Amino acid sequence: MLGNRESLSKNVHFIGVFDPKIRIFDIIMKTANGSSYNSYLVRGSEGVAIMDTVKKEFSSDFFVRLEALCKYEEIKYIVLHHLEPDHSGALIELMSKAPYAKLIISGRAVMMLKGLVKTDIAFEVASTGKTISLGDKTIEFLSTPFLHWPDTMSSYLHEEKILFSGDVFGSHYYDERLYDDEVGDFSYAFKYYYDHIMRPFKHYVLEALKLYAKFEINTIAPLHGPILRSNPQFYIDKYAKWSSEAKFRKHQFGKKMVSVFYMSSYDNTQKMAQKVMQGADKVEGVVASMYDLASLDEQNMIDLLEESDAIIVGSPTINGDAVKPAWDLLSCMAYLESSGKIGAAFGSYGWTGEAPEMLHDRMRWLKFRLPVKPLKIKLIPTEDELMDCVAFGQEVAEITMGKMVEMEI
Amino acid sequence: MVSVFLKNDNIKVKAGVGKTMRQIATASGASMEFGCRVGDCATCIAKIEFGMQLLNQKTEKEIKVLKMLGGDVSGLRLMCQSHIRCEEGEIVVSYIF
Ligand SMILES: Cc1cc2nc3c(=O)[nH]c(=O)nc-3n(C[C@H](O)[C@H](O)[C@H](O)COP(=O)(O)O)c2cc1C
Ligand code: FES
Ligand SMILES: [Fe+2]
Ligand SMILES: [Fe+2]
Repeated sequence: MLGNRESLSKNVHFIGVFDPKIRIFDIIMKTANGSSYNSYLVRGSEGVAIMDTVKKEFSSDFFVRLEALCKYEEIKYIVLHHLEPDHSGALIELMSKAPYAKLIISGRAVMMLKGLVKTDIAFEVASTGKTISLGDKTIEFLSTPFLHWPDTMSSYLHEEKILFSGDVFGSHYYDERLYDDEVGDFSYAFKYYYDHIMRPFKHYVLEALKLYAKFEINTIAPLHGPILRSNPQFYIDKYAKWSSEAKFRKHQFGKKMVSVFYMSSYDNTQKMAQKVMQGADKVEGVVASMYDLASLDEQNMIDLLEESDAIIVGSPTINGDAVKPAWDLLSCMAYLESSGKIGAAFGSYGWTGEAPEMLHDRMRWLKFRLPVKPLKIKLIPTEDELMDCVAFGQEVAEITMGKMVEMEI
Repeated sequence: MVSVFLKNDNIKVKAGVGKTMRQIATASGASMEFGCRVGDCATCIAKIEFGMQLLNQKTEKEIKVLKMLGGDVSGLRLMCQSHIRCEEGEIVVSYIF
């Protein structure tokens, strides 16, 4: 069997499918040449395990590959590393064909399973340390939640030193040559996938890497794109670096970043922003900065948001709304971890002035901490009102530095 | 007034009888998370480190949902199901998600 491209080793085979036509994945991701839905078959002396399935519309290809390698009666386990439809699409059909197969999912997947398959399926739950045996092959499970679904887990095939990493280390990159040392240059796709899928869960990436570090890994078998066999550590190091490089300013200088983002047509909100920043910057241990949303592109926004401990957004009210760049800024939070960040909103207005409160509410849904009420000022700010802006910025910065908030309701 | 200390956010709120934990979280801008808000999803689960007796009794549904999580859940509450029932005292809350 070796020498056959689909064989990672004598007993582990690629049975995934290719989707060269796909250009937009999960609404948010672009792919220049398609992708793959990887699935793997592991054969042991006492049966077969199928590691994930594929997107439903490609199931016939999947079953053809599977049938070439095993009988359905031999399948002892079906492992779903997470339940997303691009990998669980052929599950029901596979379960119906494989009479002795036991489904293995993570604990967090239990509640989801019902919502997804709409029928009762027997399953077994795996968490870190659980193993299953195929006779001469042992698969150990690792709980690696939130990468990128809450129920994500990984697994490790001891005898072959293969890590089944789920979507972690994936790329939306189509190349039937399969292996990282044989395919074209997929480095952009590997990074793009990380940025769009894993970056919001950096903290969990680092936790997963700690678990992976306990194993000697010869091959990483992800669920999309090339199989990484040339030098797995290279890819692990990349993930480690990307996941820990955030907040390099804080690590380097020990300061907290308070960022004021604003947009202004007649300079009223701009004047407020200036004072908010000054107020914040007075606080020991804080570096405050301000940025005009009119000139920030998306990548800058994402980087700045990530670096910032507190995010203060200023927008005038225009036609009963905050301005679009302010919404665009906040929608960049989809790529980031928000928990723990402090938010606040302000703006100048003419007659209704709902923008700051709308931004404040939006930040609440994004799980910001919002200890200070929105600040709005009618048209041109007076000297007194500018002092309020200073106090507003200072208060946000002090809370960012750990000041306790006390109030009565 | 009961003093409620939300440990994760370093916020201390003084609130009277009948005030719900959700009102307290919203008014203070705490990052406490809520999902369903009706006691089904356990998103709002929190540990009451101090002052459990100052809150209302656990609802039946709450007891069921907490039980599902397994382990010792005696110090845990669903914040969407909790409100203050006493005049005086101190509550310390730390949230899990
Ligand atoms: C096209 C336009 C629409 C506006 N719509 C509203 C509105 O719906 N509600 C409101 O309170 N103010 C409205 N305003 C007034 C602005 O919010 C106000 O002029 C504000 O001071 C502008 O701040 P800036 O100088 O920072 O741009 C509008 C102004 C313009 C030019
Ligand atoms: S928010 Fe769902 S249980 Fe409280
Ligand atoms: Fe996925
Ligand atoms: Fe996927």
